[in-house]
Amino acid sequence: MSEADYHPLPVSNEFLQEENEKYHTFVNLALALAAITGIELVLVYLPFNEIFVFSSLMALSLFKFGAVIAWFMHLIYDKLILTLAFMTGMAIATGTYTALLFLFSRNNVDFDAITGF
Amino acid sequence: MSDAATAHHDDGHENLVIDNKKLFMWFFLGSDCMFFGTLISTHLIYRKLYPEAYEPTSVFALELTSFSTFILLMSSFLMALAVSAMHKGEIKSFRRNVIGVMFFGLIFLGIQVYEFAHFVHAGLTLSTTTFGSTFYLMTGTHGVHVAIGIFWLLCLYFYSYSGKMDAHQSAVDVEVAGLYWHFVDIVWIVIFTAVYLIEYI
Repeated sequence: MSEADYHPLPVSNEFLQEENEKYHTFVNLALALAAITGIELVLVYLPFNEIFVFSSLMALSLFKFGAVIAWFMHLIYDKLILTLAFMTGMAIATGTYTALLFLFSRNNVDFDAITGF
Repeated sequence: MSDAATAHHDDGHENLVIDNKKLFMWFFLGSDCMFFGTLISTHLIYRKLYPEAYEPTSVFALELTSFSTFILLMSSFLMALAVSAMHKGEIKSFRRNVIGVMFFGLIFLGIQVYEFAHFVHAGLTLSTTTFGSTFYLMTGTHGVHVAIGIFWLLCLYFYSYSGKMDAHQSAVDVEVAGLYWHFVDIVWIVIFTAVYLIEYI
């Protein structure tokens, strides 16, 4: 299809300005995400305290996760119901992991019964 | 074209209604969260129960995995630009960005195939250990999601040449595909930290 076959809707200058502002946000975010990935890689090789490294990795991962959802997926620009729809799934997933973690903690598992089959 | 659609483009961002496709995609992503949550949970719990089953750092190539993470993050950036281009009605820019997303997606898949081949060669297969079973199931499912995303974007790319594109609906279609692609990205963010990085602490 040539360019002439596609007829975009007319957009206001305000809308274009907003989209251009978003572009700068996206560029900054992409740079930040790349930098954080680099920091994560370096962090695991540094001789720091394990708890510090673990906490830092969790925090950085959470930031990346939240940033992609908020800006790249437009959640901060959209209706609250979309956030709720997604967060419901997230809450159930996190709850499942937490519940399984407690259920399958080493003290609660009868290894002889499992390996007996 | 509906009044809601007109309002969207006249005043910029003041949506009067939520498009059904977009709403359902968010619900789907919520349910997919549960799906991946279960896979990741299973892997982590088996890893905790049988820590001696396998030492993954002996086969992991963290630099390569970090590079593939970077590639996927950059593909998300291009996807955001593609969605923005479609909202502005810049179809050429949309096509350029979508090609970039697919290219980066293919690089990611290529690295995953290479990584799997390397692991199998090193003796880690689906049936060798519990680690292998849960690892391949989880990362393989993610890889299938990436492949589906690439196919979806390829369809949109060719559809943009069909002459049947409706300006408003196409912007929504691209946005929905973009949501899916970004979701695949955030799942990898979790896998990268919880499965790869944690092993090195």
